[in-house]
Amino acid sequence: MNQFLNVTEQLLKGFGENSLIFIVTLVAAIPMGLIVSMGSRSRFFPLKALTRTFVWIIRGTPLMLQLFVVFYVPPLMSNGSFNFPRMNAALIAFIINYAAYFSEIFRGGIESVPKGQYEAGQVLGMKKSQIFFKVVLLQVIKRITAPIGNEIITLVKDTSLASVIAIPEILMNAKDFSMQGLIWPLFYSALFFLLFCGVLTLLFSFIEKKLNYYKG
Amino acid sequence: MKKLLAFLMAGLMTATVFAGCGESASSNSSESSDKSSSSASADGDWAYIKDKGEMVIGITYFEPMNYMDENGELTGFETEFATKVCDQLGVKPKFQKIDWDSKEVELNAKTIDCIWNGLTITDERKENMGISTPYMENKQVMVTKAENADKYTSAEALSGATVVAEKKSAGEEVAQSDDFFKQATYVSVDSQAKALLEVKSGTADIAVIDYVMSIGTLKDGSDYSNLSVIEDKSFAPEQYGVALRKDSTETLAKLDDAMQALADNGELEKIADKYNLKDLLLIKAK
Repeated sequence: MNQFLNVTEQLLKGFGENSLIFIVTLVAAIPMGLIVSMGSRSRFFPLKALTRTFVWIIRGTPLMLQLFVVFYVPPLMSNGSFNFPRMNAALIAFIINYAAYFSEIFRGGIESVPKGQYEAGQVLGMKKSQIFFKVVLLQVIKRITAPIGNEIITLVKDTSLASVIAIPEILMNAKDFSMQGLIWPLFYSALFFLLFCGVLTLLFSFIEKKLNYYKG
Repeated sequence: MKKLLAFLMAGLMTATVFAGCGESASSNSSESSDKSSSSASADGDWAYIKDKGEMVIGITYFEPMNYMDENGELTGFETEFATKVCDQLGVKPKFQKIDWDSKEVELNAKTIDCIWNGLTITDERKENMGISTPYMENKQVMVTKAENADKYTSAEALSGATVVAEKKSAGEEVAQSDDFFKQATYVSVDSQAKALLEVKSGTADIAVIDYVMSIGTLKDGSDYSNLSVIEDKSFAPEQYGVALRKDSTETLAKLDDAMQALADNGELEKIADKYNLKDLLLIKAK
């Protein structure tokens, strides 16, 4: 029993790190993704090319490698005189990575609203900004809740990748127990992810129901 | 026309990205060659560690070397040994948990200053890192289910058995080249802990792991307590050393002196005794 409590405590401590990465990434990557999606839809060519290249590079390389680059490349290039703290490096890599994915979801959402909606707004004499915020945006939100929910649940599990730059997250702690001869903590750690994702799933189905009103 | 422009832009950007990489790599290599040429006269590495006032020690949790005790305190043979050596060197020890697979990168990026975690000395590692005097011996042992412990005593008895070991480990070397295992089937896994899991779950019959590892994992109360070491046969002794950055000659010399000093005053033996590792010590009092 004592051992069970000890393992639970260590795993919870690890899951704290996962949750921190999760929350900060979410809060920062959603607005950043929106900005990137604006860039991707821009009619100003250099900007569009720049954001498309950014999305291509970020989506085209493994997140694990990006974590390595953010944490190890600055000290390797500066001969050890500069490096981000481990957690900051992880957050930077996660935010950039998820902003790229979110931006594509936003772009898809915005472009899926039929032209007729804009035209209807114009007929009513609304300004461009009014049309976007009052007519289009909420329909976009409704359309993207499912893919965003999908991405967010993926994020929960991706946070474990931070262990490659030695952030003591839950899976790393669980693996340490197996070095001490305890196998079950590794499987027990799945429960934490399941519970967390379960709550998120319920939350998203609630949000989707609420947004049904805006079904375009 | 617009499309052409886009292609050009994209091409240009990719080129700059790659050019950037190339540049960093080349500046890096020139830096390291600078270091090696200057290392003969002055050792920047020791000055660097001394200026910081702390030695960042890269570890992984691995009983009985570095691990958490019941109170959540870091303890173990290497932990105590490294702390004492740092006292001798006049710097503070700072233990940093790392991912074992990235230990060389961590060292070169200076996010750690040494690796002190039951690191086996190999020719390859000697070439890439500065390795201290070997301080401890280790050997490869066979682990099997307790009820089979008497069964696998000869090469013939191993016919049809499955042997498992960690990829690229000394155990793998043994399992693949020693005549004793000739009639067995070999499977490699990615860690020693997984090799034990294979035996426990019955997917393999024998795991070849290192002896020091078996002390911590097979103790009473662990999930592996029904596994046991086949006592009368061991293979390929290997030696443990501390790894520093390459060309850190001065740090290395100071480290070796400090380890010898601890052996001379008997403290090293005391620590080893505490963790049942006394017989394996290689540094003796002069």
